[in-house]
Amino acid sequence: MTAAALFQSTLASLPEIVVVAGACILLILGQLMRKGQQQFLIWASIAVVVIAALGTLMLAGEVRPAYSGMFVADRFAVFFKVVFYLVTVLTFLLSRKYAEIEGIGSSEYYVLLLLALSGMMIMASATDLLSIYVGLELMVLCTYVLTGFLRQQQRSNEAALKYVILGGVSTGIFLYGVSLIYGLTGTTQLDGMAAAVTGDPLDPGLLLAVVFIVAGLVFKVGAVPFHMWVPDVYEGAPTTITAFMSVGPKAAGFAVILRVFLNPLVAASDVWIIVAVIAAVTMALGSFVALVQDNFKRLLAYSSIAHAGFAMFGVAAGGADGVASVMLYLLIYAFMNLGIFGIVIMMRNGDFSGEVIETYAGFAKSHRGLALLMLLYLFSLAGIPPTAGFFAKFYVLVALVERGFVMLAVIAVLLSAVAAYFYIRIVMVIYMREPEGAFDPALTPAVGATLAITAAGTIGIGLFPAWFLRLAQHAAIGG
Amino acid sequence: MTIPLLSLIVFTPAVGAAALMFIRNDDAVRWMALGVTILDFALCIAMLGGFDTSTHEMQFTETRPWVPALGITYTLGIDGISAPFVFLTALLGWICVLASWVAIDRKVKEFMVSLLAMQALMLGVFCALDLFLFYVFWEAMLIPMYLIIGVWGGDGRVYAAFKFFLYTLAGSLMFLIGVIVLYFHGGETFDIRTLMAQDLPFQVQSWLFFAFLIAFAVKVPMVPVHTWLPDAHVQAPTAGSIILAAVLLKMGAYGFLRFSLPMLPEATVHYSTLMLVLSAVAIVYGGLLALAQDDLKKLVAYSSISHMGLVTLGIFTLNLRGLEGGILQMFNHGVTTGALFLSVGLIYERTHTRSIADYGGLMKAAPVYTAFLALFALSSMALPGTNSFVGELLVLSGAFAANLAVGAAAVLGALLGAAYLLGMYRKVALGPVGIGVRFKIRDVNAREIAAILPLAVFVLWIGLYPKPFLEIIDASVKHLLAQVHGKGSAQ
Repeated sequence: MTAAALFQSTLASLPEIVVVAGACILLILGQLMRKGQQQFLIWASIAVVVIAALGTLMLAGEVRPAYSGMFVADRFAVFFKVVFYLVTVLTFLLSRKYAEIEGIGSSEYYVLLLLALSGMMIMASATDLLSIYVGLELMVLCTYVLTGFLRQQQRSNEAALKYVILGGVSTGIFLYGVSLIYGLTGTTQLDGMAAAVTGDPLDPGLLLAVVFIVAGLVFKVGAVPFHMWVPDVYEGAPTTITAFMSVGPKAAGFAVILRVFLNPLVAASDVWIIVAVIAAVTMALGSFVALVQDNFKRLLAYSSIAHAGFAMFGVAAGGADGVASVMLYLLIYAFMNLGIFGIVIMMRNGDFSGEVIETYAGFAKSHRGLALLMLLYLFSLAGIPPTAGFFAKFYVLVALVERGFVMLAVIAVLLSAVAAYFYIRIVMVIYMREPEGAFDPALTPAVGATLAITAAGTIGIGLFPAWFLRLAQHAAIGG
Repeated sequence: MTIPLLSLIVFTPAVGAAALMFIRNDDAVRWMALGVTILDFALCIAMLGGFDTSTHEMQFTETRPWVPALGITYTLGIDGISAPFVFLTALLGWICVLASWVAIDRKVKEFMVSLLAMQALMLGVFCALDLFLFYVFWEAMLIPMYLIIGVWGGDGRVYAAFKFFLYTLAGSLMFLIGVIVLYFHGGETFDIRTLMAQDLPFQVQSWLFFAFLIAFAVKVPMVPVHTWLPDAHVQAPTAGSIILAAVLLKMGAYGFLRFSLPMLPEATVHYSTLMLVLSAVAIVYGGLLALAQDDLKKLVAYSSISHMGLVTLGIFTLNLRGLEGGILQMFNHGVTTGALFLSVGLIYERTHTRSIADYGGLMKAAPVYTAFLALFALSSMALPGTNSFVGELLVLSGAFAANLAVGAAAVLGALLGAAYLLGMYRKVALGPVGIGVRFKIRDVNAREIAAILPLAVFVLWIGLYPKPFLEIIDASVKHLLAQVHGKGSAQ
């Protein structure tokens, strides 16, 4: 690699470098600081993310391939990175008070989140199966540890262990698919793969390899049949980490899925049938099982499975609109899901766990504003206009119908009618029941800021989707 | 620069709802809600003053780009078919506020906010000329209505609210798919006027017809997807029942008029017999069910199913008298059934019972109230001189022209109507004094008369002199018929 190429590569990956370097510095600083100075760590972490975001936006002008075709900084990656920055900053804001209450506010917590962020960023930019693997592992290793951060709690430990074992298996499957691809095509680069295949794209060996890769990736977004870890991990992990995982790593998984699916090799192998089936089954399972959940976090876990299914429909649709619809869906989902998680996190105070739905009874009576926000997030998750959640679903449906998949669209909307039930059930509990006790939400300014940002996104994109839609469409074509 | 009158009409209640959130005093909230709805009504009168009855073209149109990438625009406009319902919605707005004045005694502010939000969305539905915009208004109504039934309703309110929400949502989502399919077949536009001019293949029209039918049939409601209605009506607070009966049910029929007929003319003609039969079933079945009710609200609710059957019957006769009668009957049903629910609500506030058996001899205790009740009951059974007579006569003559058997069924429905309404009136107003009126019952006060009198005026006005009302819809209905039968060749 020449010096000029190295410079170009470094420039293209500057945001990633900033995040990793920032994480390393904060790790050392964190050890030198006395307890109770987490305030500084949070602001420093946010500063790191903001600097990286500035770098990303400044470099967003052109497509920059780097590291001999393993990495690219294009608009597609920029879109996802912006989602990741948003998710990470909001998670930091939500963590401040929650970490204090749960006693998990050591410096490692923030450093691991930053490292997970860098892993996600690499995933969004990776154009080689091996660099995808590196980003993926960097991200999941951090989330394994973060899941088990509530060391005193059995279920947190259990969740982390389950996550590690299942995650390890899925990574193995993914790597096996990569090795098959390498054996068949002699390359692991996404662009090179298609060119190397001259024969039948439906060659059984190739199909097997593609299925393995899809299986490994589908695990990360929590789609059926690789969803078993989601409810336990989401319930056991600290709620802030659950909030983070439900949007960040999920979006990163979709970034890779889209990148792989934009590849002509995969697109030619009729793999969309598999994806369509996965999407329908995922949505059905998530929606129906969520109906009977009493635990808020578990319900949101199944809800996130259902949403992954809906986004999968966009992947099945494919094409420029299909890709853009998935991207827009993930952006909107980040706002509304972090919003509702923000509420759950805020409610964790004193003896109140905030995890049992029934304990929210009559919440609207004493806290009108917060209840109204919950209403907003829940109706958005259910996909009722004029919230952003509706537009997200609408655009996926447009992409499906555009490609002629009307039946898939019908399945998608019928299942979302099922899913609407459990969201409006929560609305019922907070608005139509009498309160049994007083509520004492830990509404700090940081949490308030998070709620304000997410609410603005949820209602703003719903009413004025044009700009965001154009953003997603431009980024999708760039990928 | 012209004043965007329709936008003002639609968004005045919305702005009012937002402003209400910052008011603390319950009485101030009530007065402000009343002020906002009356202002909205005044704007609506101004709009009607400038309404040109000689053309079928959309009037007061305004267009702004909204989501250019998908061809979505913010387009409002009204014609002779939507104008009566914009007016009806604005009229019932302040009547609902008056009806909730003392009936709603907790969470007053939230209630009024929901009510005003509801009104803005309903007005939006009738004014929207962009399918996407229409759908946003249509579906967003679920949120305030769910709260109105579920928070301020009766004992079974939660169940009723869920049932209402899920039925309507499931129906609407099929409509959404239909809208998107129409978008791609109609040249990637959501503009209703452009879509009306498309000539779609019959196969596509058939699919779309049934996709739309599911959504609109749930809203109307047509048998067999009517079962949400009695629950929702019985459990909803008075204002909720009025909105449901007077405006929400009209939206299903309005959907047929605005989308199914002009956009899918061949499918409409092809399946019109099916629709006539479904309507006839609703008329008779709803009437029979109403006959068997011992709960005042349930009786009115089932009578709604029967009367809305008459409306869809009129629409799918696809002839001039049937259609004009159907549309007039939509308006009449809004006035009369709204008034009946209001009457039931007024008496329920006093006695806290809706069971017909608890009443009797009300005429002695509350003569003014009973006179109003008699007028609305007579109107509901279409006595000559009341509004429904005109509409029903038109629908029946249209129905006999279209299909003899269906016309006969509709007459049977009218007979049933006389039976259950006169029966109800006899048990409630006449005879010995019942349990519910054992105590002294206060007659209607000035506020209640203010709420109920305008409806009585419309009952008699349309009954005695329907010409101005028919004039408003005439040009648009003729154009609609030309669209259905002549495929776009106007007049």
